[in-house]
Amino acid sequence: MSFADPPFRRRFRAASTLALQLLALSLLVACGGGGAASKAPRGAATKIVFTRTGDARADAMTYLKLLCPKPIGGELNFMVWEGYTDSAFTAPFERACGVKINATYMGSSDDLVAKLRAGGSQTIDLVSPSSDAITEIIQAGLAAPLDTTRVPSFGDLMAGFRALPVARSGGKIYGQPWAFGPNPLIYDTTKVTPKPTSWAVLWDDRYKGRISVQDDIATLYMVAQYLGLDDPKDPAKLYNLSDADLEKVKAKAIELRPRVRKYWSTAGDMTQLFQSGEISLGEGWPLMTHQLRLVKFPAGEVIPKEGTTAWADHWVITTGAQNLDAAYAWLEYAAQPFTQKLLADVTGYIVANPGARAYMTPEQATGQHDIAEYGAHVNFWQWGSKRDKYQEIWNTVKAAP
Amino acid sequence: MAVLLLLPYALLLIQSFWRLRNGTLTHELTLDNYRRLFGTRLYPATILYSAGVALRVTVISLVLAFPLAYVLAFKVRRHKTLLYMAVIIPLWVSYLVRAYAWKIILGQQGILNGMLMSMGIIRAPLTVLLYSTAAVVLALTHIYTPFTLMPIYAVLDAIPASLKEASQDLYASRWRTFIHVILPLSLPGVVAGCTFAFVLSMGDFLAPQLLGGNDSALMVSNLVWSLFGVAYNWPLGAAVSVVMLGLTLILLWVAGKVEARGSYGGDARASVVDYAAPI
Repeated sequence: MSFADPPFRRRFRAASTLALQLLALSLLVACGGGGAASKAPRGAATKIVFTRTGDARADAMTYLKLLCPKPIGGELNFMVWEGYTDSAFTAPFERACGVKINATYMGSSDDLVAKLRAGGSQTIDLVSPSSDAITEIIQAGLAAPLDTTRVPSFGDLMAGFRALPVARSGGKIYGQPWAFGPNPLIYDTTKVTPKPTSWAVLWDDRYKGRISVQDDIATLYMVAQYLGLDDPKDPAKLYNLSDADLEKVKAKAIELRPRVRKYWSTAGDMTQLFQSGEISLGEGWPLMTHQLRLVKFPAGEVIPKEGTTAWADHWVITTGAQNLDAAYAWLEYAAQPFTQKLLADVTGYIVANPGARAYMTPEQATGQHDIAEYGAHVNFWQWGSKRDKYQEIWNTVKAAP
Repeated sequence: MAVLLLLPYALLLIQSFWRLRNGTLTHELTLDNYRRLFGTRLYPATILYSAGVALRVTVISLVLAFPLAYVLAFKVRRHKTLLYMAVIIPLWVSYLVRAYAWKIILGQQGILNGMLMSMGIIRAPLTVLLYSTAAVVLALTHIYTPFTLMPIYAVLDAIPASLKEASQDLYASRWRTFIHVILPLSLPGVVAGCTFAFVLSMGDFLAPQLLGGNDSALMVSNLVWSLFGVAYNWPLGAAVSVVMLGLTLILLWVAGKVEARGSYGGDARASVVDYAAPI
């Protein structure tokens, strides 16, 4: 933790106005006691501020006592990515707010969309779709618009993340930022010199048989960006390429195939390939660079000049959600810097609240970036109309003779 | 009971005739999925590749399992159960653990490459050992050889000693006894064992994902998984599954026929159908 860190200074000032907050708190409690059906604050909620200790777990406990002075009760059904309901941050919420969380993991974005479409939105309250699935869920009318007045800490989340168009439709906000990550080029600094600046390095004969790319259509996006088939002014183009463009992508990806040592499917696959000396470079996630550096592996990371794709996960309330008081209490808790720090501990992802860095060691904080740092180089995943076609092309690339 | 067993297959069959329109399942009947399946090189090529891998696994498993089963059944006098268990025990070790063990052995900085290099046999590490079709075949052979061994051993062990003695009494050489008595009687076990190795390795999903390289990461199960899980094209996924199910049933039927010819109907009979029934 550093005092020079702006978010910390901001909070330090905030903490000094404790009297005001105690007043706000008493108001909150008064509101909470009113309703018969619900004991939590209705309508506009007030931001809870208290003196931080710098310890994420301890602060989460203190905060939750203030957030839920009385138990809200009931249950919340989640369908989320693995790691998003880790007991490190869900268990304290369940205890303090008296809400039982039932989590189901999704296997893929498609899995989530399919379940919600098949009537899951009636039984699932909260989901954590990536930037591709969220638009599909909003379009299909399965997401409820967010009442941000009930999430007073919403404004603390990264401005660039809040501004992403994927979570917005018809002037309404549907998603609360949670975590994101780009797909950079990761390389072994002792073997790949000079520092690469373009995806072209993957087709460089010097590294033949020493690269790895994801076993996913994300690799097709990368190839298309390398070929300049995307349009930075129209991010959607990359996910809806014409058949002629897709043929070009396929041919270039097939050219890449003999250069690949192995296609990775989990973050562990990729870091293991680096550590066991099988590969020198490849497309990956910042989480991998972070993990490799933790074990003193000389990993370098760069967003090539052609740009790259990224995912961004939001919390979304479904149209069928019943226990809205509990759902909004969860969202407000999820936006807190200490909750986000605990999320970063579990997943290693870049979290949405920059204030979380104040709870991190300098090493952990270096893995955190602002969305603005990536600029227009990063194209956030969208749901394309030809997903099925992309998948068939990817399989064809893998099975190419 | 029969309904509960057959219902999922019936649903799969029906689903394979549905249509996907703009990413949504519609319940109109169509043959498009089968047209796309047979009309796109990807699907038949992947099925053929998987069958090729499965065939190699089957042949190697048989070559390893038959002599081992023979020795266990006829040559070993003491500790027979113990030795049999030694073959079976690896089945209790998690598949994943065994796949990862192969990564450690076959990698560029692995045990095998290290040994070959220190012995001066090779100068640079061999990359073909891991993340290749060879690695997939090796791992599958390791996993499915016990499945081949078990039915062969069961058949050989049940051959009455009197038959061998009768053959020897008639002055048949050991080799002749093997060719004319033991081998025909063991055929049902061989067919059952080979069917196990072939069907199980053809449907394998993890070995290509964990040990496959740029040309060996896609077998038919990975394809079905991507159609259901990623592309949300359930009808096409179902169609591929139906074709695979059909191929498996044909294989089991042929195996059953071959066995029926080879079997003499005695105690030694170990039908592939008997074994496959509980699966």
